[in-house]
Amino acid sequence: MSLGRIPLESVRARKRTAMGRRDFFSRISDGLHGAGLAYLLGADLFSPNPALAATGASPAFDLAPKPAHFEPKAKAVIQLFMHGGPSQVDLFDPKPDLTKYVGKTPSRDLTAVAVSPQQNAGILPSPYQFGRHGESGLEFSELLPHISECADDIALIRSMFTDTQNHETALNMIHSGRLLGNRPTIGSWVSYGLGTENQNLPAYVVLDDPKGLPIGGIDNWQAAWLPPIYQGTRFRAQGTPVLNLDPRPEWPEAVLDVERRLLRQLDQAHVRRRPHEADLTARISAYELAARMQLAATDALDLEQEDEKTKEMYGLNDALTESYGRRCLMARRLVERGVRFVQLYIEQQIWDTHTKLDEGLRYSCGKTDRPSAALLKDLKQRGLLEDTLVIWGGEFGRLPLGQGDSNNKSSLGRDHGPNGFTLWMAGGGVKGGTVYGATDELGNHAVENPVSVHDFHATVLSLLGMNFRDLVYRRHGLDERLTDQFPARVIEDLIA
Amino acid sequence: MPGSRLFWSAEGRFVVLVPALLVSVLGRGPIAAASTPPTFDEDIRPILEANCVSCHGGDAPQQGLDLRTSRAILRGGSSGPAVEIGSSANSALVERIVAGTMPPGDLSLTESEIALIRHWIDNGAAHEAGELGAELVTDRDVLPIFQARCVVCHGKREQRGGLDLRTREARLAGGDSGPALVPGAPDASLIIQKVEAGEMPPPDMQYDYAVRNPTDAEVATLREWVAAGAPPAPEEVASPEPTPQLAEGDGDHWAFLPPQRPAVPKVTSQAMVSNAVDAFLLRKLEERGLSYSEEAAPLTLLRRAYLHLTGMPPPPQEIERYLQDDRDNRYQLLIERLLDAPEYGERWARHWLDVAGHIDTEGFGEYAPRRQNAWRYRDYVIRAFNQDKPFDEFLTEQIAGDELAPWKDQEATPELIERLAATGFLRTAPDPTWEIEFAFLDERMNVIADEVHILGSGLLGLTVGCARCHDHKFDPITHRDYYSMGAILQAAYDPYDWLQPKQRVLDIGLASEKQEVDEFNAPLKSKIERLEKSLEKEAAPYEQQLLDERLAKLPEDVREDLLRLSETAEDERTEVQRYLAKQFKQTLEISTNDLKERFESFKTKAEPIQKQVKEARDQLKPAPGVHGLVDMGGEPSTSYLLLRGDAFTPGQPVEPGVPAFLTTHLDPFEVVAPWPGADSSGRRLALARWLTQPNHPLTARVMVNRMWMRHFGRGLVASPDNFGLTGESPSHPELLDWLATEFVRSGWSMKHMHRLMMNSTAYRQDSRKDGEAMATDPDNVLLSRMTMRRMDAEQLYDSILMATSRLDPTRFGPPSDLDLSDDGEYRATGTAQGFRRSVYTLQQPRTPISLLEAFDLPQLAPNCIVRNQSNVPTQALHLMNSKWTWELSRYMAGRIIDAAGNDSEEPVREVFLRALSRPPSRSETSESVAALDELRSSWVERLMSDRREAPIEATARWLALANLCHTVLNSAEFAFID
Repeated sequence: MSLGRIPLESVRARKRTAMGRRDFFSRISDGLHGAGLAYLLGADLFSPNPALAATGASPAFDLAPKPAHFEPKAKAVIQLFMHGGPSQVDLFDPKPDLTKYVGKTPSRDLTAVAVSPQQNAGILPSPYQFGRHGESGLEFSELLPHISECADDIALIRSMFTDTQNHETALNMIHSGRLLGNRPTIGSWVSYGLGTENQNLPAYVVLDDPKGLPIGGIDNWQAAWLPPIYQGTRFRAQGTPVLNLDPRPEWPEAVLDVERRLLRQLDQAHVRRRPHEADLTARISAYELAARMQLAATDALDLEQEDEKTKEMYGLNDALTESYGRRCLMARRLVERGVRFVQLYIEQQIWDTHTKLDEGLRYSCGKTDRPSAALLKDLKQRGLLEDTLVIWGGEFGRLPLGQGDSNNKSSLGRDHGPNGFTLWMAGGGVKGGTVYGATDELGNHAVENPVSVHDFHATVLSLLGMNFRDLVYRRHGLDERLTDQFPARVIEDLIA
Repeated sequence: MPGSRLFWSAEGRFVVLVPALLVSVLGRGPIAAASTPPTFDEDIRPILEANCVSCHGGDAPQQGLDLRTSRAILRGGSSGPAVEIGSSANSALVERIVAGTMPPGDLSLTESEIALIRHWIDNGAAHEAGELGAELVTDRDVLPIFQARCVVCHGKREQRGGLDLRTREARLAGGDSGPALVPGAPDASLIIQKVEAGEMPPPDMQYDYAVRNPTDAEVATLREWVAAGAPPAPEEVASPEPTPQLAEGDGDHWAFLPPQRPAVPKVTSQAMVSNAVDAFLLRKLEERGLSYSEEAAPLTLLRRAYLHLTGMPPPPQEIERYLQDDRDNRYQLLIERLLDAPEYGERWARHWLDVAGHIDTEGFGEYAPRRQNAWRYRDYVIRAFNQDKPFDEFLTEQIAGDELAPWKDQEATPELIERLAATGFLRTAPDPTWEIEFAFLDERMNVIADEVHILGSGLLGLTVGCARCHDHKFDPITHRDYYSMGAILQAAYDPYDWLQPKQRVLDIGLASEKQEVDEFNAPLKSKIERLEKSLEKEAAPYEQQLLDERLAKLPEDVREDLLRLSETAEDERTEVQRYLAKQFKQTLEISTNDLKERFESFKTKAEPIQKQVKEARDQLKPAPGVHGLVDMGGEPSTSYLLLRGDAFTPGQPVEPGVPAFLTTHLDPFEVVAPWPGADSSGRRLALARWLTQPNHPLTARVMVNRMWMRHFGRGLVASPDNFGLTGESPSHPELLDWLATEFVRSGWSMKHMHRLMMNSTAYRQDSRKDGEAMATDPDNVLLSRMTMRRMDAEQLYDSILMATSRLDPTRFGPPSDLDLSDDGEYRATGTAQGFRRSVYTLQQPRTPISLLEAFDLPQLAPNCIVRNQSNVPTQALHLMNSKWTWELSRYMAGRIIDAAGNDSEEPVREVFLRALSRPPSRSETSESVAALDELRSSWVERLMSDRREAPIEATARWLALANLCHTVLNSAEFAFID
């Protein structure tokens, strides 16, 4: 069995050789700690993986690590979600030819998808310089000086497209594969399929911005009809990270100890009278694990343990980058501890630059460029990048048109562009320094090797060692998938 | 046959669409005779008839693919068109034949036949000129286009411009502007002109009516149809076989045959047989050399019965009463008491509400509105269980309460309201169409699909949803069966004549309720009016100023016109003025927000007023109404089989009906008017009547199996949502059938079923697992013991309230709201008495009560037959650390001290009795007393340093006892039912 990274005590305990069922049950009498241990082991040794087996009437669900379908390249995912729709022609997808079309009437194809077609201000070339970086010579805009430095680790997908130009539906699409929401998000599917390496922390952690949730709020990390243990857990940036993580603050410490002792006495007596009840054992171990989670989560988010150089690298000393930098650094610490899927959000829909393109982009890039690059570099220097997949991208892109009053150049923005946009990935088995796909000469339509959201999902699952067709959940007698019934393909060219 | 003449009069568009047709017809002329390409009628039809049409023909062709006509072949089936004109290589028809997958079995086509088909396709897939009439576009092809794009304004409810487009006759009759079409002359037909010009459906109205433009292909079809003389739909020849694709033996699956009442077997240990249930169970056990476990301890049984029937543990006085009862039948009497208790209906309603998928919001979206009256359905269900309403009646009211007797223009009585509220059963599915963005045809179809799923999984125990896109892969449910079931609902849920949720509210309430609401709202309404007037007054000068500013930016002459316009009342404006008003809408219309943005001083004045208005509005009580489903009256639109499940690709029309394979042993599904002269189709009533036949193979079996599952932890059929071929076989088929027939025989009495199950010796067994049973029957399929289970979310929540004396027993009525507490938890709003049972809290699927969610509350999308269970640390965190459980524990300790004092072992005893339904053991008592002492001194220390005003010693004792309560509520024993 391949367990991957083994950073913490609970996982280390799992390195024992296989246990017999009798041994397993006899360990229950070791007491609470033993029960917790036996539960962890038992969950792995005896329970089939419900996600991969898809048989049986009512399987038990847990977060114990599950074997993948095949040898995974990535063990964990950090998704830097860029809500609002970053403008590809200004950041990743240089289109110098746009200048040729200035003043020409844009085609219906361009204006038809705009949310506000009446504000069409004609073709707007990117005001930014692009440069080639790294050995690969990948092109990035001058707005991304730090990310450019990681060019050789990055695979740019310039031919993403989605089916809608509205935020709400596009968010549903990119997270859960369907325009209409109420379906499990990709992080939930991954947690369901693979469990997680550290039972003291949630499998799927969401680090949202204290300045505001994305559109749709908690829907963006919902498990929908998957069992609720697979939904994203918000780690709050201030206060205790998880709901009810800390003991009642008004209790004297000794009170907590007495309660725990009493509870142990009650439960042990109860279990003794009821041998062979795995559910009871699991229940008791859950209490033990809860206590450990309190320590583990607090420890994972304690950035004071980091040295000054690291803090500086993530931009923790700069007011502009501090907030996002903290979350990037937390993401590394979580992944390091075996969390499976970490999703970062940023201040509402910061990339939604309908007006004042330059001001908006400089602000968004300023906030995220340095921390995002620091995360890549830090993961790399710690040897974590090779099996951590980092994804950077939003729900759609933007049109090559200006939006607003064409007489007031500095006020111009760009409207939503769903037909072609850029998303990049790095680490976790992704072929760095590559460009996949292309948009048309205006940067509007994905024309070469177009990548649907379903293809993107299938590729992420594949990097994690799962076949998107076989990661199924049986519901109402049907096998549900992340890609639903839509055609999807794994982009093999992106995989090293 | 007028076909050929009309064909020749066709316009260019038609020729472009089907050029091959023209070529072939020309090819038949005198000029080209040398090598004639094959034609459908002469060459191809005979091949297909010999090899394919037995499956791909008739009333319900396999996979929706009809191979009898070339048009049908081009239209294709559930996997798309069968033929690509001009390319046999790309044609699925040829691909399947060549690959040998079609025809299935031993049949195969000869090489020359295949060559002929290829030749035919490559040369344009022509048909015989003389037979063109059969291939004409007829009313059948255009009706779905009119239904999807037009009838919402030109149909049953509205006839804009006096025009009704539902039937051919009505289209020809036309409206205020004359006939909609001139047969044979598309260019002279208003409808073609308007549609092709993009004027109809009107672009500015499409969004509001959730209608989209017809596709180019649909426009072409309309033109073709008019050009062809607007021919009516061909007479469908009824196929002689009602179920052509029902293979031999499909109906032989055990669950598709009516249950036969088996004889009750004799067993060796006859003394253990309390009723027939035991006889069936013991026979199986004895066959394997096993037997029952011994009877559970009296208090274990008491707690089990209470939790299973009422969802809460027994109150302490009931424990005393039970222990002191020395009658032999005290257990049976207990069951009777519990079945009579009002809490029984509340608990068992919850199970049914899972099956129905009851929620109090329109769905999952962040802004999904409340279903203000959905609680009436919940109350109906609770009352039905408490009254032991016969299950057949219960189903009939829920499916067709509106069709049982006239209800329109009747006096609103409690009975009438209840009968209509029952139909809320068919209004539970999330309905996103409240938002116009999700109100288009495909989403409407999804709502109907969810309801069909609820009917299928909840009442038939079948996975009918699989047949939405194609015939069911395993069960004999056809694609057509699926849409026939959908058609039953079409008279109420008409996808082509859709009602949004707010349009479906039935404005029916008791006069007393209405009066109460009016009286409550009257002062609020006048307050709102007053506030709004004052806001208008504040706004007037600013409005004028902003208008002047805006006009100042416009050219002089326009400005004058607009100024005059703004002073003219709307109904007195001239044509020109109306045009101007439309063009300069953005200039002329000034909203409060515009003013707030422009004038800081106005903003300062307006916002407090607006806040008051909002507060007052939020307090307004909604008018009493009913959330139910009623027949829309009139003729429902035509229903179609949807190819690949796609709302915009209708196949053949379908009639309302039930799955054909279930009809063999039953009276037919027959739609008749519910009463003479009824303006209600009777479709749903027909479904109810069909379902509740005493020998229905599934209705009784599915229900008793679920009841069994709730009592014993596992259904006799372990897949209660799937009785089909891929479902689990019953562990005790005779017992299942005996129970099903007994259910019907007892007059469909659910309480009778509870008595049988709970008075059995099987139910009264101990749940302890011994090594032997673990080896022979690890999953306890044979029931050689009781199965221990964790409480479900609601049992746990309600039990905590009960044990801590925080239960507000108020029954029925609008649910308690939920609040987001400052620590991030969703909780029910408390009342003066505490908290209401979970069933009486707002069922808000997006953010439910956090405790319920942590303990595996299912997401009802759209319903849930079997709940999952997880065991994770977050549950422990919740019970251990949440403010709420600590608050309730303090309350519990307070009441115990009030009742039992606080200086001896008595309070410890009370804690155990209230939470665990048993007195503590001697060692538990001494451990607890010792712990209380430690806890007390810790609290004394803390309280002294806090320097609070409360008496320290008494407070410390109280908090110490609260800790004991809190610990016991966290124990495994509290949450698990032996």
